[in-house]
Amino acid sequence: MNPRLAHLLACLYPPPWRERYAAEFEALLQTGRGGLRVSANVVWAALHERIFPTAGLRTERGQFQSWCVRAPWAVFGLAPLFLLGGAYFVACLVLWSGWKIFLPGTNTPFVPIDGFAVFYFGFGRFLYYGAPILIGWGIGLIAARQRYNAIWPTVGLVLIALIGGTSQVHASGPAVPGGVGRISMDLALGPSVQGIPHGLFHALVILSVTMLPCVIWRLQKTYSLS
Amino acid sequence: MRSTRNVVLDKEDPRLGHYSDPPMLVLASLADGPKHGHTMIEDIVRLCGTRLGPGTLYGAIARLEQQGWIEPLPPEERRQPYRITAEGVRVLRARLTTLRQFSKAGLRRLEAL
Repeated sequence: MNPRLAHLLACLYPPPWRERYAAEFEALLQTGRGGLRVSANVVWAALHERIFPTAGLRTERGQFQSWCVRAPWAVFGLAPLFLLGGAYFVACLVLWSGWKIFLPGTNTPFVPIDGFAVFYFGFGRFLYYGAPILIGWGIGLIAARQRYNAIWPTVGLVLIALIGGTSQVHASGPAVPGGVGRISMDLALGPSVQGIPHGLFHALVILSVTMLPCVIWRLQKTYSLS
Repeated sequence: MRSTRNVVLDKEDPRLGHYSDPPMLVLASLADGPKHGHTMIEDIVRLCGTRLGPGTLYGAIARLEQQGWIEPLPPEERRQPYRITAEGVRVLRARLTTLRQFSKAGLRRLEAL
């Protein structure tokens, strides 16, 4: 294999792994056959090493593992809730400041926009919609890496999905002309579609998306063991 | 569902009959002496027909070294040879014994078909 490509592929691994194995691994790649199949194998292995590290993270992992055992309610319940709260706070702040900057004098920020405002409000929207999913994936990843049993991570995922699905943002216009409007958030199930409240449906979608990587990982482990 | 008869008759699938547990393959390869990565890959092909990719091989090596079942020897130029440890030999023997019992029992059942 081309030495440059070998070096590039070795760079995909996390630094602690590279420190220990990069030299010999690059030598192996250079002496062996190249090709798409070999490259794909290395990319997949590097990704696996980044998710489930073997080298260099033993102490940190041990400390974190003890937290998972001592206070799983904090790691899988409280911490994700705080994170989600923080993300929603920033999303509301973006919406409120964008309203003031780009749409002064309007009664609501939920109006058609263009130019840079699209990116500005888009960032807030990404936080609002993306935070529950990203945090859910984080919970799944931590649970998988720590080989933790499923009870507390599931509780955390359900909580995050319920809050993510039922949270609603409201904007009320300024009380006096030229004043500042108000952004608020609450949790509501919303109107029903075919007997299922919209909020609950949204929560189920979030739960499915966040659990998907864990399910795939479990299936992969089961098949690789069989 | 795939029946046993189909598995036996289907000789076109080259993956059939291959054993693919990378850590065990690496341990088995090192059981007859120290080797570096490239030699291990070729030895495993001869041993059971499975060609490990370099990523898979080093994933197995890293895990085996972390568990103390193999250890590195002084490097030869840029190549890094490894050897199996006493603990690794114990683990490999236990695993192969289980596999032998399993395969004996499975083959006995197949003969009864």
